[in-house]
Amino acid sequence: MKGYRILAVTERVLRQLWHDRRVLVFMLLLPAVAMLLFGYSFSGDITDVRVAFVDEDRTDLTESILESLQEDDVFDVTVLEHVEDPERFLLDEGYQAVIRIPEKFTSLYYAHFAMGVATSAQGTIDLTLDESDPQIATTIRMGLADAAMDLGEGGPVEIETRELYGVEVRFIDSFAPAIMGLVVALISTVLTLLSIVREKVDGTFSRVWVSPARRAEFILGYVLAFGLIAWVQSLVVLAVGIGVFDIVINGSILWAFTCVILFAVGSVGLGTLMSALAQTESQAIVFFPLVILPSVLLSGMMWPIQAIPRLLRPLSYLVPLTYSNRLLRAVMVKGLAPWEEPLGFAGVLVFVVLTILLASVVLRQSAGERE
Amino acid sequence: MADRGPAFVAQSLTKRFGALRAVDGLSFAIELGEIYGLVGPSGAGKTTLIRMLCGLTEPTDGTARLLGAPMPAGRRTVEHRFGYMPQERAVYRDLTVAENLLFFGRIYGMSRSRIRERTRQLLDLMRLEGHADQRADRLSGGEKQRLSLACALLHEPDALLLDEPTIGLDPALRREFWDHFHELNERGRTILLSTHYLHEAEWCGRVGLMQRGRLIAEGTPDALRRDAARRSGRIGPEDAPDMEDVFLILTAAAVPSAGGVG
Repeated sequence: MKGYRILAVTERVLRQLWHDRRVLVFMLLLPAVAMLLFGYSFSGDITDVRVAFVDEDRTDLTESILESLQEDDVFDVTVLEHVEDPERFLLDEGYQAVIRIPEKFTSLYYAHFAMGVATSAQGTIDLTLDESDPQIATTIRMGLADAAMDLGEGGPVEIETRELYGVEVRFIDSFAPAIMGLVVALISTVLTLLSIVREKVDGTFSRVWVSPARRAEFILGYVLAFGLIAWVQSLVVLAVGIGVFDIVINGSILWAFTCVILFAVGSVGLGTLMSALAQTESQAIVFFPLVILPSVLLSGMMWPIQAIPRLLRPLSYLVPLTYSNRLLRAVMVKGLAPWEEPLGFAGVLVFVVLTILLASVVLRQSAGERE
Repeated sequence: MADRGPAFVAQSLTKRFGALRAVDGLSFAIELGEIYGLVGPSGAGKTTLIRMLCGLTEPTDGTARLLGAPMPAGRRTVEHRFGYMPQERAVYRDLTVAENLLFFGRIYGMSRSRIRERTRQLLDLMRLEGHADQRADRLSGGEKQRLSLACALLHEPDALLLDEPTIGLDPALRREFWDHFHELNERGRTILLSTHYLHEAEWCGRVGLMQRGRLIAEGTPDALRRDAARRSGRIGPEDAPDMEDVFLILTAAAVPSAGGVG
């Protein structure tokens, strides 16, 4: 393996893109346009949000709150005896919220009812909330408020909310990481696919194959080129996000770039894999919707995965962008290190290793199978 | 450097694609310093034979050797020493002429300054001087083909495998290409090329006539002509057959045995 040959491929790919100004402009505009266009909220019916219910009062009244939460499709309620530190609990256990009803809730509630609005003592429910997906957070707030309303004759119930990450996270804040992943996935996959198919059609592939260049060098050359492009695209998304939408980034930008570039590597692998299935450029174009649609619809980018019909949800976990979204949101919104979001991190790593290994196998075959 | 033995060898070389025998038990040996022309109609198996010799296609049976190395297993030992020009005008259409040469030079490990020097020489040789910064897809067919040949020559290989290098060129340009080939050959390069222009066989040192994956006749152009004349009963020099006649006469003679295997 020789560094200069990897760089030769990288330089060549970048030069080819440089000559194709339309693609170049597209690559820089796409992240900006996507960020602008999708800077609006989407909302499906959210269901199966995991919440923990801690009842420290244990009365008929609190029982009825639990029942009405359980009846609501939105929630997947787990009843717990006691939670020591709700914030720690959320981070560790993967729940979206902890709803805690403190002791004396019932007596305070009826006291308030009996004495009218004059008193300040009032039944209070503690809500500890993972805000990293604002749509889910809003749904939880509304669902809990509904459950409290259902109590009927009672006075107002106060819901005291603690946001896990300190600030209130807006939709747009959690949307930026998804846009980053989407743009990188599209550009890296589609352009790698097109470029390799074009090499096959034009015969330059054969020429590279009889040269001293190795498959690994060829793939790494592409990886380097698109890693660089992914980084620039992330900068564009962040620039528009911060400049126009004033997004808040709680985490480390450096980790975010690392994860985006990692995801780009997997996408290059995926593009290479797909190139094995296409002999001509028009065949390659057929694959584009296959990359785009699941990424947009199923990855939890526009609406949370909990808003996708239950039957389709397993498909979400076949879409690479699902893992990238989890990972990038954890890093950028929650301010975690990548390994503190194990599912997202592992998903992206598996994606990278699997596609790059398979790509290497596939390239060996396409080199030999012509005519 | 100085290999003993032939530049290219095929021994009972066979490639099957499904039921089709693209190359069918073919044997030949091409010595260092030869210009050898594979002549035959398209579909005769010339491209497959060349691709097996440079390690791109794995033989179904038999062996292929390039500069002594078994192909494709041994291609790493000889990859710097041969140049291959595929039938497609295999250049990057969205790179300029100079950038194409830069890329191929770099993957052969040449320094940038050496590549610049070779680029100047080759553009001069191929009469592409003014086109260094022109994108390959803006070149004419002939220019693109000259660029493609330049890419194969860039790293100064000892042996050249050229697949239909003159296809689609006008007669004057074809002549010019052949002048290049002879010049390269005089400077010690071994050349194996394929063509379906029968009269180009005249310009080769040795010719192999290919039909249906087999070598039906082989020899110097003169020897082939004599052979054909003998078979067809022509004697006098005035009715010596041209290469087209030679091909027709020799293929007709080969038909019975070709039918036997099918």
